[in-house]
Amino acid sequence: MSTLEIIFNILAALIFLIYWGATFIILYHLTRFGIGVQPKKFAAVFLFGSVVLSGAAIILFMNLDIKPLLLLISR
Amino acid sequence: MIKALLSIFQESANSFDGQEKDEEVILLLRRHPFTILLPLSLFGLACLVPIAIGVIFWSYLSAHGWLDLFLLVSGVWFLAFWLAIFYSLTIYTLDTVIITDRRIIDSDQRGLFNRKISELHSHRVQDVSTHTNGLIETILKFGDITVQTAASEKQFIFHQIPKPDRVKDVIMQVARSRDSGVKAVIQGDM
Repeated sequence: MSTLEIIFNILAALIFLIYWGATFIILYHLTRFGIGVQPKKFAAVFLFGSVVLSGAAIILFMNLDIKPLLLLISR
Repeated sequence: MIKALLSIFQESANSFDGQEKDEEVILLLRRHPFTILLPLSLFGLACLVPIAIGVIFWSYLSAHGWLDLFLLVSGVWFLAFWLAIFYSLTIYTLDTVIITDRRIIDSDQRGLFNRKISELHSHRVQDVSTHTNGLIETILKFGDITVQTAASEKQFIFHQIPKPDRVKDVIMQVARSRDSGVKAVIQGDM
């Protein structure tokens, strides 16, 4: 694995971590400070959508052949 | 078990942090849903951008082998806007006014880590007025409610509240019942 590939993977992992960090903060606020039924519904929909979308993003990332992209960058 | 778990999405006692013993929540108010519609529509439009690009440039992207990368970037784009949409909804949801049989609590959420909570005891309520401004507020029946108080903070303003006239009546009813010692009976739903 080349250095550029490692950097690319670390970057992807970092974006993923930041996303789930922000997701946790929003879910925490909705469930901890929310009053009534509405915040719980929002939290459930948000969590479900986040799992589906990040799952899709992971699959797309796994399928991605980054070699042509890295060749283009290193040119 | 599952039914009990799912009941949190159907019913709530509207309990809140710092609620006193036997304190009853009469109204839980949020801004009118129309106020959140504009930012949500903008985010919705932004979500259409990768779809539009995909439709227009699909053959070009697949011919040059950029399709996988485009799909990944689109996925990240959707993730970012999913987060932005629910950030807005969180701020909207946590920005509440609670009217109990003892006090009015205004929780002004300005950001995830920026919140101002003001409390007004019902016996300090002196005067309540409503202000509906413009065509949209008149048609959709929402507006601002101003509560004049005898406290150091002279005015409480609740912005873009649905059915402000009805809320004004409820606040006055609660204030009056507090003065007379007779428990307020709020009739009809909001």
